[in-house]
Amino acid sequence: MKEILESVRNDPSYLNLWSAYKKIQDLNLTVPEDDTNTVRLAVIGSTTLEPLAACLDVKTRLEGFHVETFVGGFNTYRQEVLDKSSDLYKAKPDVVVLSIDAWSILDKLFLSNFVRMSIKERHAIQNELVDSVHSIVSRLESETSALILVNNFVIPIFTPLGVVDNKQKIGLKRFFESTNNLLADKLEKSSRGFLVDLENIAGAFGKSRMIDWNTWYRGSIPFSNDFTPILADEYVRYVRALKGRTKKCIVLDLDNTLWGGIIGEDGIEGIKLGNTAPGIEYVEFQRSLLSLYNRGIILAVCSKNNLDDALKVFREHPSQVLREEHFAAMRINWQNKAANIAELAKEINIGLDSIVFMDDNPVERAQVSQVHPDVLVVDMPKNPRLYREMIENLNVFDVLSLTSEDMTRGEMYVGKRIRTELEQSATSIEDFLRTLDLKVRINEVNDFDTPRVVQLIGKTNQFNLTTRRYTDAEVSDFRKSDDVAVYSMAVHDKFGDEGVVGVAIVKKKDGDWWIDSFLMSCRVIGRSVETAFLAKIVADAKKTNAVRIIGEYIPTKKNPPASDLYERHGFGMPATSDDNVISWILNLDEQTVDVPEWIELTEV
Amino acid sequence: MTDFDNKLLDILTRVFRIERDEIKDDLKRKDFEPWDSMAHLMLVSEVENEFEIFFEDEEVVDIWTVADLKKLLKQKVSP
Repeated sequence: MKEILESVRNDPSYLNLWSAYKKIQDLNLTVPEDDTNTVRLAVIGSTTLEPLAACLDVKTRLEGFHVETFVGGFNTYRQEVLDKSSDLYKAKPDVVVLSIDAWSILDKLFLSNFVRMSIKERHAIQNELVDSVHSIVSRLESETSALILVNNFVIPIFTPLGVVDNKQKIGLKRFFESTNNLLADKLEKSSRGFLVDLENIAGAFGKSRMIDWNTWYRGSIPFSNDFTPILADEYVRYVRALKGRTKKCIVLDLDNTLWGGIIGEDGIEGIKLGNTAPGIEYVEFQRSLLSLYNRGIILAVCSKNNLDDALKVFREHPSQVLREEHFAAMRINWQNKAANIAELAKEINIGLDSIVFMDDNPVERAQVSQVHPDVLVVDMPKNPRLYREMIENLNVFDVLSLTSEDMTRGEMYVGKRIRTELEQSATSIEDFLRTLDLKVRINEVNDFDTPRVVQLIGKTNQFNLTTRRYTDAEVSDFRKSDDVAVYSMAVHDKFGDEGVVGVAIVKKKDGDWWIDSFLMSCRVIGRSVETAFLAKIVADAKKTNAVRIIGEYIPTKKNPPASDLYERHGFGMPATSDDNVISWILNLDEQTVDVPEWIELTEV
Repeated sequence: MTDFDNKLLDILTRVFRIERDEIKDDLKRKDFEPWDSMAHLMLVSEVENEFEIFFEDEEVVDIWTVADLKKLLKQKVSP
């Protein structure tokens, strides 16, 4: 297996991907018992989709997942979706790719007769097309808990109306364009249905090369050899986001990365950074970085420089886009970069595998990737004019829903930096916490906060007691159940609002409250809010006359920060089960957990 | 081994997932399970792309053995 994947990694051509897929199928692997690393894929639609499924299967494996792939028959997606006992449903997919060719639904003479159709007829056909796809998606939404990835339609290159196509209310191109818009509208509110922008991906690749007419007419294969792996990459973005493999932080070098030249030698007037060439390419690279910052990607600096030289650029250079306030942490010194990055990860409180490192110097890159294989070290182009394209094509920052917490994360980290400075000046930790004016809101999660709760469940690794990943559908089932409570915790202090940063899932059984999941964003570690969170659960349990609270802990490589939570709060009698779950018990008639005096619990 | 043979063997090994020395001229589509219709399509299109040639539909149907493919391909690439 390793060997097969290594050979595709070296040469991810279409033929190699397909060959690897077939070889892996021949191995007849069994499903590992631990499900967390397994992805069940289904690819269905109106054409021959085995090649696309093969590429997606292998590319998902290259991300380190165990994969099972179901490929639907040729144009049998309707039967597969409508028949509850079909193989599609037996495959229990986590992700369903739905690739429907508009021409398979449209009348055979649609193109021929389009010019003669009235506007009304065109609209009617358009609505049929939208409904036809949407009904399939709705059915999949109700029958599975899968993520549903629906290709939108490719706007044809040819139109019989020629250059006056857009002089009509709904010309052929606008017909497809607005069909895509209607589909986007239908799926906008869906938490599991996503419209994959095939039209845009095809455009970026080259529409005239996205199909190979030989294989299309011989075997109804919808995408060319070169395009199929590119499209598969797009689906992998969703898989990574679903499985919480999202990068959260970019660590940036300065000289020849954020600006051209070396600040220590060229001086502030000498570096290339400005609104004309040379220098505009760095400004535009920074603008793209700022766009990512504004949607919640953390930025940090790691540079071999004199601190004062570098800070001068941030503070005084008129064309500098990124300022000190955009960086959660900085390491500007002469230490080796691997050590600096380890420190940055600690300071910002994120895992090394959430970090992307960008540096123009290949030696620095090699050193960092050797010491920290988990860090994504970007192979920067030699040509700085390609930096912007590089970052825009990186596609490793995807999340399945953007919350308000995401949008303001950058500001929160600045608050954190200031807090850290304060902490260092306070004499005791309690004194420090007292100065923060901590306010915590804990309640059973409402509709508004649920997307954020699902997001936290999906991506929190460090302060996560059991690392159980639940889907949107599972969380909503928990919320409906009388025997389960899903709590959310929001934290506020004098430096800002952190929003929802904690989740607990409690299962009630025979007078015992089992804490199935307890997790907290690493942003708020060290502020004792976990104590308040436990105290609230304890208080609620006492109200229902529960006898014991049982907290579960499953150790992983990443969650040592959470390992002593239960012990620290008076839970005892740890017992380890066969599947490595350690359970800690708190007897409610003897023990309790109190809210720390420096935390104020607020109501909704 | 010529460049021609090399390129062809390279495609055949990957499409059929077998080693080079297992690829014999008399390997038959009918008797060899991995050579299914999907593999056939893949084989034909990879050979077309690699050698920048084009097979007629009748020719595609008539490729029954590795020898058939070699013969046809030699005709196409030799001027």
